[in-house]
Amino acid sequence: MSETQVLKPLKTWSHLAARRRKPSEYEIVSANLHYNDKRPDSPYELSPTMFMNEWYKKNTFGTALKHADWNAFRDPEEVVYRTYNMMQDGQETYVFSLFDQFNQREHDTALDPRWAGTLARFYTPSRYLFHTIQMASAYVGQVSPASTITNCHYFQMADSFRWLSHTAYRTKELSLAFADKGFASDERIYWETDPVWQGFRELMEKTLTVWDWGEAIIVLNLIAKPAIDEAVLRKLGESARHNGDTLLGLLTDAQLIDAARHRRWLATFIKMALETPGNLELIQGWIAKWEPLADKAIDAYCAHLPDVAGGAGAAKAATRDFRHSLGL
Amino acid sequence: MAVLNRMDWYDLARTTNWTPTYVTEDELFPPLMSGNFGLPQNAWEKYDEPYKQTYPEYVKVQRDKDAGAYSVKAALERSRIFENADPGWKSVMKAHYGAIARGEYAAASAEARMMRFSKAPGMRNMSTLGCLDEVRHGQMQLYFPHEHVSKDRQMDWAFKAYDTNEWGMIAARHFFDDIMMTRDAISVSIMLTFSFETGFTNMQFLGLAADAAEAGDHTFANLISSIQTDESRHAQIGGPALKVLIENGQKAEAQKRVDIAVWGAWKLFSVLTGPIMDYYTPLEHRKQSFKEFMEEWIVAQFERALTDMGLDLPWYWDIFLKDIAETHHGMHMGSYFWRPTVWWNPAAGVTPDERAWLEEKYPGWNDTWGQCWDVIIDNVVDGNMAMAYPETLPYVCNMCQLPILGTPGKKWNVKDYPLEYNGRLYHFGSEVDRWCFEQEPERYAGHLSIVDRFLAGMIQPMDLGGALAYMNLAPGECGDDAHNYAWAEVYRALRATKKAS
Repeated sequence: MSETQVLKPLKTWSHLAARRRKPSEYEIVSANLHYNDKRPDSPYELSPTMFMNEWYKKNTFGTALKHADWNAFRDPEEVVYRTYNMMQDGQETYVFSLFDQFNQREHDTALDPRWAGTLARFYTPSRYLFHTIQMASAYVGQVSPASTITNCHYFQMADSFRWLSHTAYRTKELSLAFADKGFASDERIYWETDPVWQGFRELMEKTLTVWDWGEAIIVLNLIAKPAIDEAVLRKLGESARHNGDTLLGLLTDAQLIDAARHRRWLATFIKMALETPGNLELIQGWIAKWEPLADKAIDAYCAHLPDVAGGAGAAKAATRDFRHSLGL
Repeated sequence: MAVLNRMDWYDLARTTNWTPTYVTEDELFPPLMSGNFGLPQNAWEKYDEPYKQTYPEYVKVQRDKDAGAYSVKAALERSRIFENADPGWKSVMKAHYGAIARGEYAAASAEARMMRFSKAPGMRNMSTLGCLDEVRHGQMQLYFPHEHVSKDRQMDWAFKAYDTNEWGMIAARHFFDDIMMTRDAISVSIMLTFSFETGFTNMQFLGLAADAAEAGDHTFANLISSIQTDESRHAQIGGPALKVLIENGQKAEAQKRVDIAVWGAWKLFSVLTGPIMDYYTPLEHRKQSFKEFMEEWIVAQFERALTDMGLDLPWYWDIFLKDIAETHHGMHMGSYFWRPTVWWNPAAGVTPDERAWLEEKYPGWNDTWGQCWDVIIDNVVDGNMAMAYPETLPYVCNMCQLPILGTPGKKWNVKDYPLEYNGRLYHFGSEVDRWCFEQEPERYAGHLSIVDRFLAGMIQPMDLGGALAYMNLAPGECGDDAHNYAWAEVYRALRATKKAS
C-alpha cells in the first residue's frame, strides 16, 4: 500500500471531476444518483432473482430504448427541489389570487347555467385524468435509468397533483354556485361512463399498465400528455373564453406553463435518444401503435366541446406538430 | 371569504379512485407492486392520513424551510467550522452523509411506488409530497457536504459510498433495498415510513442535531432538524395503512413487516449511530448516551406508537432491550479495528475520562469491552502498530451483513445461528436475524455477503489489500484513527508515572 499514490481532495465529486469544469448546483445534487445500475445481475442488494430485481432487469435495463449513457441527460432548465418550490409557490400565488379576485367579483354566479352544465361534464371530472398523469409520472420516474430523467418525472407528478388540486378547488366553488349540476358528486360517473371521457380513460388505463420504461416514457410524454395538453387544457380553455369563463381560460393558461416546461426537457430527452441508431424507428413504431388511441380520445372529448369549431382537428394537428418538431 | 378553506376541497382532491374497465384492477394495481392483501380498492378508500397538506401549502412551506436552511449555510460558509471541528465530529459528518444522502434520494422512488401503486387515494397524494421531500433530503445532503470535498478526500464518499462494495454500504443497501426499494406500496408504508421513519429517523436526526449544535456545527444542526420536520409529516403515511390492514384481519402480516423492519433498522443504527454518539462525539458535547437515546426515542415513543396502533411489541423485544446496551460497543470496536475499511476516521473514544463516562453509562464496560481495548491501547502505546490493524475480514451475518459479534469478558457469548436452506449454509448473528431471513428466504437466499464473495474468490488478492480494492477504498480515503493516536499520550504518561513510582 505504501507504494500506491495517496488520493488528494478534488474540487467536486470524483464522478464529475474528470470533466475539468465547475459543476452547477443542479449537477452536484442531481446527476448519477441511482445506484441500481452497478450490478447487472442484481439491481438491488438482495437475491438476484427476487421479483423486484427481475422487474428492473426487464423493464428498466432490458428496454429496447437504448443509450450508452442515460446519465448524461440534463434537464435544460436545471430544476432542483428548492427552485421548483420557489417557482411553483410563485405560480400558486398567482392562481390563488385569481381564485380570490374572481370569487370577490362573483364570477360563478354570472356564468350561464348551460355553461355550468358543460363544466360539470367537461371540466370537473378532469381531476381523475390529472391523477392518472400523476400516477404515470410516478411510475416512469421510479423506473428511469438516470436520476436526472427521474427528477423531471417527479416534478411532473407534482405538477399533475397541482392541476388536480385546482380542479378540486374549482369543483367545490362551482358546487356552491350551482347546487343542481352534480358538482362534487357526479365526477366519477362522468369519468367512468360519459362518452366524452372514455377515450382518455382508455388511453390512460392502458398507459398506466405499460411497464417497459422505454415504451412508458414515450407513451406518457409523447402521446398521452400532448393529447391532454391540447384537448383538455388548450381547447377547454378556448371554449371557456368563448363562454364568458375568463377564470378557466386563465387557469388552463397557467397550467400550460407547466406543460411547456415538460415539453422542453422532453425535447432534450428525445434529441439524446435519437443519438442511438435504431431508436428513431423504435419510437416511431410506438407512436404508430399509440397515436390512434390518443386521436380517439381527442375526438371523443372535442367533438361536443362547445364553441370550439374544428377543435379535434386542431388538437390532433398540434400533437403531431409537437412530435414533428422533435424530428419524429 | 373569497378563498376557500383547505378542508372545503381537500377531500375532493383525494377522491380519485375509479373502476377500471379497459384493464382489470389487478392489471392497474399488480398485487406484487400494490400489496397483495386481498383487499379491493374500496377497502382502501377508508385510509385517512392524519397529517393533511395541500399542494399550495406544501410549496409555500417548503420554500420557506429551504430559505432558512440554505441561508444558515451561506452565512456560515466562511466560518471555518469544518476546519476547526474536532476530528471526531468530522467523522460523524462523513459517516452520516455517506450512509444517508443517496439513501434518502432512493427513498423518493419508494414514495413514488406508494404514489403509483397504493389503492388508497389519500396515500397516493401524501406520497407525492413524500417523494418530493426525499428529493429534497437527497439534494440537500449532497449540496451541503460538497462544500467540503476540496478539503478532505473522504468527503467524496458523501456521494460515492452507495456506488461501492464497502462492507458497511453493502449492509446499508441490503437493509434499505429490503424495506423500501423492493417492497409493494403498502409494505413500504409500513416498513419505511411507520417502522423506520417513525421509529428511528427521529433519533438519527434529532439526536445528531443536538450533538451538532453542541459541537458548534450550526449548519449541520439546522439542516438535519429541517429534514426532520418533513420526516414527521411523511412518516405518518404508514399509520392509516396499518389501521386498514388490522381492520381487515391482516394484523399478523402487518406485524411481521414491522418486526423485520425494526430489527434491520436497529442493526444499522448499532453500527452507524451508536459509535457516533458514544465514541466520536467529543465527550463534552454528548447530550445523552446512545442507550439513553434509544430508550427515550425507540423504547418509550415507538412502543407507544405500536400499541396505539393496536400492534404488539415485536416478539424479540427482550432481546432488543438487552442489545441496546451492548451491540454498538462491538460494532464500534470492529469498525475501529477495521478502520482502513471505512471512509471516515473512527475516533477511538477510550481515554481514561471517556472510559469513566462509558463505565457510568454502561456499568461493566471496563470488564468487557475495556479488556479488549486494553490490548489495542497497549499495542498503540508500545508502537506495535502492526498488531493494531486487521489482516483479514470479520465474519458477517447473512441477514444484516454486519459482523457477528458478542460481548467479551467472562460472559463471552458470541454465537453463530446457522441455517441450511436449499443446500446452502447461512450464518446469522442472532436468532432474530435468522428469523427475519426465514420469513421470506427467497428474497435473501441468492445474495452473497462480502465474506461469501471473499470465500468464493471474487475478491483478489485474498488479503486486506484485495478487500480494500474491492471496496473502492484507496489510500487517502481509507480510515485511520481520527486523532492520529494523540489520545495514546495520556496512557504513555500514565505508564511513565506508574514506572516512576
